[in-house]
Amino acid sequence: MNRTTREDLIIAFLSALSSEELKFCDNWIVKNSKNEVKLSSIPKKITILYGTETGNAKKIANDFALLSKKKGILAKVVGTDTYKLTDLSKEEYLFVIISTQGEGEPPISAKKFYEYLGTTTDQFPKIKYAVLGLGDTSYPLYCQTGIDIDTYFEKTGAQRILPLSKADVDYKSVSLEWMESVFQKLSTEKLSETLVIKKEESEKEKITTYSGKVKTSVNLNDNRSEKKTFHIELESQIPIQYKSGDIAVILPHNDHQVVQELISLTNSNAEKTLLLSKKSGTLRELLTSYLSITYLSENTLKKIADTISIPIKEKRLDLLDLVEKYEVRSSEKLEAILKILNPISPRQYSIASSSMVNEEELHLTVALDTFKVEGKQKFGLCSRYLCEVREGEELSFTIKKNPHFYLPDSAKDIIMIGPGTGIAPFRAFVAERSVTQAEGKNWLFFGDRKFTENFLYQTEWQEHFAMGTLNKINLAWSRDGKEKYYVQDEIRKEGKEFLQWLENGAYLYVCGAKDPMSIDVEKAILEVISTHKKVSLKKAKVYLEKLEEEHRYLKDVY
Amino acid sequence: MSNETPKLSPVEKIKTSSDGLRGSIKESLTDSITGKIRDDDTQVIKFHGMYQQDDRDIREERAQKKLETLYSFMIRLRLPGGFLKSEEWIALHHIAGEYSTGVIKITTRQTVQLHGILKSEIKPTIQAFNLAKLDSIATCGDINRNVTCNALPSQSPLHREVHAYAEKISKMLMPKTQSYYEIWLDGEEFHNRESEKDPLYQDRYLPRKFKIGIAIPPQNDVDVFTNDIGLTAIIENEKLLGFNIAIGGGLSFTHGNEATYPRLATNICYTDSEEKTLKAIYEIITIQRDYGNRSDRKQARLKYTVDRLGLDFYKEELSKRAGFPLDPPKTVEFTQRKDDFGWSKSTDGLWHFTAFVECGRITDENGINTKSALLETAKLGIANFRFTCNQNLVIADLQEKDKEKIESILKNHNVIDITFNSSAIRLSSLACVAFNTCPLALAEAQRYIPSLITKMEPILQKHNMIKDDIVLRMTGCPNGCGRSTASEIGLIGTAYGLYNLHIGGDRNGLRLNRKYKENLDEENILLTLDSLFLQYSKEKEESETFGDFCIRVGWV
Repeated sequence: MNRTTREDLIIAFLSALSSEELKFCDNWIVKNSKNEVKLSSIPKKITILYGTETGNAKKIANDFALLSKKKGILAKVVGTDTYKLTDLSKEEYLFVIISTQGEGEPPISAKKFYEYLGTTTDQFPKIKYAVLGLGDTSYPLYCQTGIDIDTYFEKTGAQRILPLSKADVDYKSVSLEWMESVFQKLSTEKLSETLVIKKEESEKEKITTYSGKVKTSVNLNDNRSEKKTFHIELESQIPIQYKSGDIAVILPHNDHQVVQELISLTNSNAEKTLLLSKKSGTLRELLTSYLSITYLSENTLKKIADTISIPIKEKRLDLLDLVEKYEVRSSEKLEAILKILNPISPRQYSIASSSMVNEEELHLTVALDTFKVEGKQKFGLCSRYLCEVREGEELSFTIKKNPHFYLPDSAKDIIMIGPGTGIAPFRAFVAERSVTQAEGKNWLFFGDRKFTENFLYQTEWQEHFAMGTLNKINLAWSRDGKEKYYVQDEIRKEGKEFLQWLENGAYLYVCGAKDPMSIDVEKAILEVISTHKKVSLKKAKVYLEKLEEEHRYLKDVY
Repeated sequence: MSNETPKLSPVEKIKTSSDGLRGSIKESLTDSITGKIRDDDTQVIKFHGMYQQDDRDIREERAQKKLETLYSFMIRLRLPGGFLKSEEWIALHHIAGEYSTGVIKITTRQTVQLHGILKSEIKPTIQAFNLAKLDSIATCGDINRNVTCNALPSQSPLHREVHAYAEKISKMLMPKTQSYYEIWLDGEEFHNRESEKDPLYQDRYLPRKFKIGIAIPPQNDVDVFTNDIGLTAIIENEKLLGFNIAIGGGLSFTHGNEATYPRLATNICYTDSEEKTLKAIYEIITIQRDYGNRSDRKQARLKYTVDRLGLDFYKEELSKRAGFPLDPPKTVEFTQRKDDFGWSKSTDGLWHFTAFVECGRITDENGINTKSALLETAKLGIANFRFTCNQNLVIADLQEKDKEKIESILKNHNVIDITFNSSAIRLSSLACVAFNTCPLALAEAQRYIPSLITKMEPILQKHNMIKDDIVLRMTGCPNGCGRSTASEIGLIGTAYGLYNLHIGGDRNGLRLNRKYKENLDEENILLTLDSLFLQYSKEKEESETFGDFCIRVGWV
């Protein structure tokens, strides 16, 4: 019988015991061994409750359960949508992992649970709980649902065993730390004070809003290309606090012309001050820089349809198209609509510069997002905003830390895979490693449509290559040959050396489109490991997972 | 000769260390980060018939975009005597469409070149040419280039015999290295360099480019005296007796460098057998190989060697090396340099149509669809294609019964119209490529001359000169690809939009022109010509050409 099976059996045996029986075992162990572990302090079972929108909370819950099992804790994982509220009275250890949506709202799947907890007068003094809130610091009400759940439980008389923990979009390290704290708490019942204090400090980090003057804005693609990818250099009066790998958060403005048309068509007074639930301003201000007026959701359209009694058939519609099509011609109606509209969501861009090179500058690589709605050419709100911004204009931004995507120790080699705008953080990486004279080698994989038209930052890479600050570069052009060709094909081609770099301790970074790029790239990497290490794909997967655990396989994909 | 050995020019070093013109071309082709090849290879690749160029129109624009300048390659075919069969034309047509700008450019040396080929597409292009049994070996570089030969079909059947000489000379002067096949056609690597040993070019090739042309008098369509070696066929009673051999032609010079000058070739001898002719050519080249200036590339052409050593020395050395005494050249007369447009019948009963191709650019443009017309013609498989040194095209060797078919194709695509309804000066004009691809260009040429001629035409009309075959030639720099110094009116670019005006060359290519005015813009070109034409039209003698008039009245 191997070790794991024995452990499983013991766990199964212990799990079946009552509290009294466990106490007996405890005493027996204390008497008969020098080991200070008390079995009874390991809870028989815990409940992990997740409320998720994108699946992250669920993933953390499952990881948590798996780790719990490894530590001999039985964990029940359940989603807030299927959780029976009546079970709350039976819970002993309850851990909630929950995300926050949009304007501080709970995920739809957690709405019932959230509303119940916020309004109930029931008391659950037996529950020992901790909450991990997931959120996005670029939104004003960061982790609001987590904060609410944490307080609601307190009000029911439940015992908080760990302070609320908040995790940003890059939740991995925080969630792992949180789990560790939970396990420590559970096994020793002693709280690691330092950890908690440290976290509270980091949570309090102030977010600075910077104002950047557009120094340069240039389309990096040859004029013959349909693609528009802008390189935008922003200049700030004060040093911008960021590290290579961090993210710039931008609140886009709506197209001035569109706003003007809305105002004219509805015969509204642009300067009239309006008071919305969370914001006040003139009609023009609100329409320009606060309210989302493009690509309105089905939900919003339904509310508008109900409010001003028009039969909207479309699933997605710009406000201007709506106003034109359904002949909304009065300022009253427009104002009624404004009350329904959601605020503009901020957008995030990987920073393409290094503050080591110039701490008063921040560069962005922004692809103009173009798409068609009912045959009409549309542009992504923020990319249009950024691509249309003129040199000399000011725009404001904040920095979002992205610590899981930082450079390793300067002696380490790095492999960077960043097709399209995925190139942005790597421009920062190589620039930083160049000025800091990092000894580690740098290998870049880049791809786009055509060599002559879409080689983003070509001359800079050439300079780095000539200087030796870029040691190797592999390029894939999808539209140059008869067959489509992508970075993953280059990775396969370079398989042997690729594996060699990994074996030598290289860090592997992937940035760009999540689907399909990062998926196809991962597939290629697995194949490369399998082929050149001569192991099964399954073993290759384990190899890559290990890299991920060691924080050597890092992804910033969107 | 001086005792001091002057330092060799950098290009010499590149040639001798190129390992049979291999250089590091293979490595250059795999540098995926750039569209250019390594600096030294830009010299080596010329010997393979290519120039690295870039789109000068968008240099700055791309620099702003952090894109390197748009590099591409020009590939020039080796077509001795400028001849293609129908199936070869079809292949060329498709290769041009697939890999280049699509324009098939007839050069002033009777071949064609394609522009805008990306580095990654050189190999596919050369391989496609190879399938059609075409190659670009030695069409550029310090080596004998495409051998030109009278293209006027009325000379047939003598023409065929002379044309065969072009082939033979070309073959005799091919480099021995197999690197072309190895690099471009993935041929096996030749490790045995002994088999590539080249007694003519050795490992240093020639000091500078080398051009050979063959004329059949009285036509001088090849501009025979602008060549390093100019052969003039000596014909008596419809029989080819031999050749006058002239040496030391070459038109390139450098603005502001008095030591450089254009020069017409000088007849030095007459050879009366194939063996002697070929031997003489070969040894003229070995003398240039051994005595030519290899330290200053601006003094390296044969013309400078001839002038430095003296004609007598050169002749003596040639006689010594060739092993026979040199007979004095025969007297010949040239009466025409322009092409005979339209239909002509040769003595063997075959028909030929000479079509006007403005600036030699075969394309479909402005309603004149020459490229389509030629493809349609080629598909019939009943014609051959000849290029003239005036950058025009002959649809050759047609049976009488096929004449009408071709006529109708040409008509439908407006080739007939442009050939017969263009002004005389337009038909006699020549221009080099210049912008946007030529790295040497100081001013526009082929992109500009059509509109300049349009502005000149009313002036010519006014002076009753619209039917005069005045030879007008424009080059974007003084290097002379468009033979601007061998014309009646030469416009030679000095800076963007500015040209030196040269006048006084003769009509048939026997006298060079001279500089008359410097740095004229368009307005001043037109004003100056207007006043010159006015005086010419008033004071010219019966059948006196404009070029001759300029000399007589002493303008230059």
